[in-house]
Amino acid sequence: MTTAAIEFHNVSKTYQRRFSEERIEALADVSFEVMPGEVCAFLGPNGAGKTTSISILMGFLFADAGDIRVLGYAPGDVRAKAQIGFLPENFAFYKFLTGPALLRFHMALAGIPGSQADNLIGELLAKVRLHGYESLRIGKYSRGMAQRLGLAQALMTNPQLLVLDEPTSGLDPAGRKEVLDLLTALKSAGKTVFLSSHILPEVEQICDRVVIIDRGRLVRAGPLREMLVSNDRVGIVVDRLPEDVALMAVQRGAAIERGEHGLRISIDAAHKREITELLWNAGCDVISLNPVKSSLEELFLQTVKDHEGAQ
Amino acid sequence: MKIRAIALNTFSSLLHNKLILLFCAGFVCVLLLMMTPLMLAKSMARTMNASQVQGMVLSEVSGIMSLLSGFGSLLAAWAAADAVAGEVKSGTILAVLARPVRRWEFLLGKYLGVQLLMAVYIVCTLIMTYFLAGIGGQSIQSNPLPLVVYPLVRYAVYSAIAMLLVTRLHPVVAFGIVLVIAVVIGMVGPSAGQSSFLPAWLRSGLYFLLPSTGLLSETRFLTITQADLKPVAWSSHAIALAYGLDYALICFLLAAWLFQRRSLSRE
Repeated sequence: MTTAAIEFHNVSKTYQRRFSEERIEALADVSFEVMPGEVCAFLGPNGAGKTTSISILMGFLFADAGDIRVLGYAPGDVRAKAQIGFLPENFAFYKFLTGPALLRFHMALAGIPGSQADNLIGELLAKVRLHGYESLRIGKYSRGMAQRLGLAQALMTNPQLLVLDEPTSGLDPAGRKEVLDLLTALKSAGKTVFLSSHILPEVEQICDRVVIIDRGRLVRAGPLREMLVSNDRVGIVVDRLPEDVALMAVQRGAAIERGEHGLRISIDAAHKREITELLWNAGCDVISLNPVKSSLEELFLQTVKDHEGAQ
Repeated sequence: MKIRAIALNTFSSLLHNKLILLFCAGFVCVLLLMMTPLMLAKSMARTMNASQVQGMVLSEVSGIMSLLSGFGSLLAAWAAADAVAGEVKSGTILAVLARPVRRWEFLLGKYLGVQLLMAVYIVCTLIMTYFLAGIGGQSIQSNPLPLVVYPLVRYAVYSAIAMLLVTRLHPVVAFGIVLVIAVVIGMVGPSAGQSSFLPAWLRSGLYFLLPSTGLLSETRFLTITQADLKPVAWSSHAIALAYGLDYALICFLLAAWLFQRRSLSRE
């Protein structure tokens, strides 16, 4: 049996303000797993508990209850950390260092010998488009440059697991595209990626699994493909649509739009047989009939809305 | 390799710390200010007898050294508190501890970085001592080794106390407590006699609990005004220094233990 790269079992965490009775429940009984080789998007609105979860995962914070394993080890275990590349949210750096000096420092911490460092630094800086800025102090970097340097340090050791907290934060569209290409390449190389991001259309392109939390509670978790498929609605693509059939479809709550391959009728699954028969009888060519796929953004917004409603 | 990298990075970081740069600027100002009376003393050498001039110059140098030694203790405490708290506050600690680095290794690297800074400070102080005495036309004949080792151990104790406190407290509070400790040490030591307003039981309790920096002071056997070392057995030096190192070690181990369970967040 394959061991999960990340295991969160019934994890809870409460913050208590100093000199106060006030308690803030950051995580409540959160459970999920990420398997090796998966790209998992960790989603949630601001203050949902994403950074707390990532901090617990990395061993920076301690859970009040629950069991957490990272690559089979307890959080903070150096054997696990040796195989993890981590990019914190708003990556902080030593402003007095240059990019290569920071990477050299991290290489020393990772146990990479100095003899290998120079070549590796050159490669990494080229990969994140920071070559040509070798002598510039990090304090003078733009936010995007600092983020790219953060990515370079996360990728430095060719890690098995990448934990990225908002990796595209501060990047321009071209920079975001590069990060996505990089993540796609990592996915192809069989790496496990656990990332939190607010830019859902981009995340949707690369992730296999989605974990959604809201107000410290797990709202939904599972493979993205299964989550995006709706069992409630179907999409029927036809070459043409007679007016009377269109009217009947609209009366049954259908939405009609012109698509790439013809007219697309989106309708409740309960009416799919009736409308399809009408279309056949009217002599229309039914090109396809598929369950409607929503976007990750729609899924996320709907899930959070439902959760808020339930609360 | 990891601890060395953290120590060197801490040293480099402290050299870029604005407060410490301000301190260094103050150090240079003291040097420039003290040059005037010493040059004056040298010019008076023709009108006064030699022993009077020597006494004047060496007492001046001794005063500056005491001042710089006190500043050194505060610098050690502040640097240690800031080295750890600054990393937590800025968030740089997260990327460092995401590497295969244990928390005690991180703390030890920080501690050694502070000791490196203090070693540089001591060397600067020593050079200044000889330089100022030279300006006054005098020379210090004492062996420089105790002048390096004793302050280094004293600063190691102060920085370990500050590091212990900062694992749980705000750096300013930790620094303030070290400051209070430094004052209380003077009030409860044997040199304070019976003049202290503290009750005897509290005085003796604090005396045993707090580090005896009097024992770790080079003034115990060195009087710059006499420009020579008092004869002290090597075993006395060894015991005094071992006591200081032991105290620093206990404080550091306690700090490492507390730091192991500390939550690391920017808030």
